[in-house]
Amino acid sequence: MAMAIGDSVLDSSLYIPELRPKRKESILEELVSRAHALGAVRAPILLRETLLLREKLGSTAVGKGVAIPNARSVAVIAPRLAVARSRRGIDWDAPDELPVHLVLLVLSPGEVSEEVHGEFVSRVAALMRLQRNRQRLTEAAGFDSVAALLREVGA
Amino acid sequence: MNGVAGILKLHDLDLMMSEIRNAASLARLRKLGFEVRDPKLLERARARLVAELDRRWLHHYERALKRYGRGLAAVRGRVCQGCHIQLPTSASPGAEESLTLCESCGRILYWR
Repeated sequence: MAMAIGDSVLDSSLYIPELRPKRKESILEELVSRAHALGAVRAPILLRETLLLREKLGSTAVGKGVAIPNARSVAVIAPRLAVARSRRGIDWDAPDELPVHLVLLVLSPGEVSEEVHGEFVSRVAALMRLQRNRQRLTEAAGFDSVAALLREVGA
Repeated sequence: MNGVAGILKLHDLDLMMSEIRNAASLARLRKLGFEVRDPKLLERARARLVAELDRRWLHHYERALKRYGRGLAAVRGRVCQGCHIQLPTSASPGAEESLTLCESCGRILYWR
């Protein structure tokens, strides 16, 4: 079963138009905390540790100012996509060494298969590969515009 | 680290290791632009974690992992998400930090 980027994975509380934290550890903590408050995560400490371990294995920045941290974890209750922006840019150890301006956190429950989670991550990555999509996300006026873009291109 | 936290962490780590060990998954990750430096990092993290865990629960976990590819299963609506069998009414999460086993498949159950 493929994971479409639709309303079921999006929520206005998981959209941060301008990130205040400057370090990726703090940003992940902020996003996980929001997903927990939403009821999509049951063990925020575990999820944060899993995300940080993934970052140790290799940066989840994929270049061109985009990072896609992701986890398939027992700490996650329901699939979610969190979107955060930073005009200033964040050091995320990107392969092209550019600062990250768009962070898309992809969360899947531990029960889902590698393929389903991989497809979810792939859809988000494919979406961000196009310059016009990155620009639309960067310039979106609010959550509704972000959700409309993700629905339009990610279904 | 308590028993529940340790087993949950081990489960997440094993999910990640399984993805990295799968050649197709690894190739997909790299094609998407993700960096995967040294898979041995996960093996070292696992060895450190395993050394801290209760032997009895680790045994149950490893046995189920070997048999099904998963050592732990979440419970939803009193159904084990590993074998999809309805748990008997006598089954309960017990104390806050205690672990229980699925009587049907033997996976460690995660109730919350």
